[in-house]
Amino acid sequence: MKTYIARRLLALLPVALVVATVAFVLMHLAPGDPASVIAGPDASADDVQRITRQLGLDAPLPVQLVRWYGRLVRGDLGNSIFLRKPVTEAIIDRVEPTLLLTLFATLISVSFGVPAGVISARHHITATDQAFMVAALLGVSIPNFLLGLLFILFFSVWLGWFPVAGYSPLEYGYLKTLRSLVMPAFALGIVQSALIARVVRSSMLDVLREQFITAGRAKGLAERAVVYKHALKNAMIPTVTIIGISFAILISGAVVVEQVFNIPGLGRLIISAVLRRDYPVIQGVVLCIAGLYMLINLAVDLSYILFDPRVRYQ
Amino acid sequence: MRRAPGVVSAVLALALLLAAAAVPATAQEQPRMGGVLKVAMIGEPPTLDLHKTTAVIVQQITWHVYETLYTYDKNYTAIPLLAESHAVSDKGRTYTFKLRHGVKFHNGKELAAADVVASLQRWGRLATPGKQFWKNVEGVEAKDPHTVVMFLKDTSGALFMGLARPNNGAVIYPKEVVDAAGDNDVKEIIGTGPYRFVEHKPDRHVKLVRFKEYAARSDAPDGFGGKRMAYLDEILFVPVPDVAVRLAGVETGEYQLGMQIQQDQLDRIKTMPGLVAGIIKPEGWSTAVLNHKQGVMSDKRVRQAFQAALDMEPIMAAGFGNKAFYRLDPGMSFPEQPQWHSTAGGELYNQKNPGKAKKLLQEAGYNGTPVRWITTKEYQWMFKNALVAKQQLEATGFKIDLQVVDWATLVQRRNKPEAWDVFSTGITFNPEPAFSTAAACGWPGWWCHEDKEQWMAAMARETDVRKRKAMWDKVQQIFYEDVGRVKLGDFFGLTAVRKEVHGFRPTNEMNLWNVWLK
Repeated sequence: MKTYIARRLLALLPVALVVATVAFVLMHLAPGDPASVIAGPDASADDVQRITRQLGLDAPLPVQLVRWYGRLVRGDLGNSIFLRKPVTEAIIDRVEPTLLLTLFATLISVSFGVPAGVISARHHITATDQAFMVAALLGVSIPNFLLGLLFILFFSVWLGWFPVAGYSPLEYGYLKTLRSLVMPAFALGIVQSALIARVVRSSMLDVLREQFITAGRAKGLAERAVVYKHALKNAMIPTVTIIGISFAILISGAVVVEQVFNIPGLGRLIISAVLRRDYPVIQGVVLCIAGLYMLINLAVDLSYILFDPRVRYQ
Repeated sequence: MRRAPGVVSAVLALALLLAAAAVPATAQEQPRMGGVLKVAMIGEPPTLDLHKTTAVIVQQITWHVYETLYTYDKNYTAIPLLAESHAVSDKGRTYTFKLRHGVKFHNGKELAAADVVASLQRWGRLATPGKQFWKNVEGVEAKDPHTVVMFLKDTSGALFMGLARPNNGAVIYPKEVVDAAGDNDVKEIIGTGPYRFVEHKPDRHVKLVRFKEYAARSDAPDGFGGKRMAYLDEILFVPVPDVAVRLAGVETGEYQLGMQIQQDQLDRIKTMPGLVAGIIKPEGWSTAVLNHKQGVMSDKRVRQAFQAALDMEPIMAAGFGNKAFYRLDPGMSFPEQPQWHSTAGGELYNQKNPGKAKKLLQEAGYNGTPVRWITTKEYQWMFKNALVAKQQLEATGFKIDLQVVDWATLVQRRNKPEAWDVFSTGITFNPEPAFSTAAACGWPGWWCHEDKEQWMAAMARETDVRKRKAMWDKVQQIFYEDVGRVKLGDFFGLTAVRKEVHGFRPTNEMNLWNVWLK
């Protein structure tokens, strides 16, 4: 088990190398550069060139790539061009809102999605099932930025329940943080809960057709016990997988929702960085998110042990 | 200890209610001290060093902190700010500036001639307009702690306007800050302005607070000059990239000012009880910049065909929707600048003459080479202007390859003459024609024309206002005959303002001194 985890963690390294290279090359091949953004629209070409030299961006790409590897080996993600601080620090500054938002949204998606899926499966081909699945289809189909804007219109502008946008950090009080995250978390979570509901429903349906369920019912187990104790536990592996995937999707979904709700998280960080071509930040955040994806996958794989004693990792 | 915005606004609202109940009606228009003003900006400032960028957002934020020797009055002519007076000698080639006494920097130090000399030299070395200005400067030195002498190579008609310019302006930093920074960004944000810089939390806010020891001028407020008062306790510039959220935020009172609201929202703002629409008139003019250096547009006849083909009304209507926000006018300067506005060459503006365009294309032997036009959707109007113009041009035989990219790509690509033929942009309101980007030879497009350069140089030297205007007429005549760039039309901006904000004048520069919250 320990060696398995160690192996999986070691496997992060080559992936990180590939991601680092791809992020670097793609960003530098894309047109646009930070110097012209700094210099502003009325600047002359000479001024732009001077700033490019100051930033060290006039060196040939391979040289810059090697410099970037060199720093990575030392665990240094470099310095942001615009934020005037190390990328690592910039990322740490922005983790709090994104992490809280993602966790909150996951909580919402699981607490809506799983019960909806189970109920749908129990009442297979009934009006309830149909209603849930139509709702789920609708949920999957709405882009989260649109849902976000609708929420703002309805809950902030019309009802005045929540602030239009912005984030209140934990240091100013948990309740305020919670309040500032309710709408963005729902905008993100609702969409994912639809996905979860559909997966839970179909895996529950599979399990409910198994012989051991029939056996359980035959020996007189209460329907509640059959569904929640035996069926749900066996339907958990695909469910946990989809929750893991959805958590990862939520992190990237946060990019859009943070923009709409003006939340200074990792998503905003990377969007501003892309628009201004802040190369070190883009590379750093992409690397960070890739690492997070892999860790989530590992956690999901390990969680299988909890639900299925037959699973063994060596 | 900072309070959350909700609490602040609740307390404010309560205080306002009490104040309204207690104060007799006549006294209510007295400016009130206090309050936090939150401004929803379109994004993040790329730097806070004003010597280093022409980005408007940096000027809008930092000019509450930094000040210049001169500034503009309400007619956009230069009046002294940090300067007290000046004397001209040596046939207009030596300017002696007396500085005001008792002006303090935010670090407590008193403003002295050495700070001015160091700052002006850095501006002349780094800023785009500064370098232009400095071509005519022999040197600048401190004569005594409150006297600065500037030696020019030749007379100058634009000296004060150059020193007054806010965008990428000649702001005065303390000498130590200049020395510590060199050509890099300044490390401390220190000026003499009515507001003091506190912090910049990227993607959260830039925070300014009232500078209690601010030395305001005693003359009455006039435009951006005269007495500047910091009524507000605090100003927060909050980056809110989504335009719908900016407006919704002002509607609910989250922010008091929302920058760059889409023009088609005017009618909606009029129906919102707590809001007024601030129209920035003029904001700038939309233009298609042509590449004179390389490619198909380097042929004058092709440029003339381009100019002849266009019908500006549908182009501008598509870009700005509401008629209250655009105007068809040939002037390189605006009708709002009567001292500069000109109709010279105006018959070549908005010709709507596809027949003439076809003929010119034929004469030029245009063979259908695609014209690469780079534009962006980051400014919706640029894209929409270009889209309609493309249809009109293609009807005359042009082949337009419209390349839609993001703004960062556009501003980079336009510096490479081999990469494009036309690009979209806006020429922002500019009070001094001598610094006009529209006529600059070194700027992308490389519109360099012998006669035009001579008139521009003469205009920069000339001090007689009437003669200068006549020269500007000549430049505009050439602008149309040679098709320097293609002006599409004037446009105006929209700012959403909450009714409790008083004393706010909607302008491109956006000043928040003398603004107070009721």
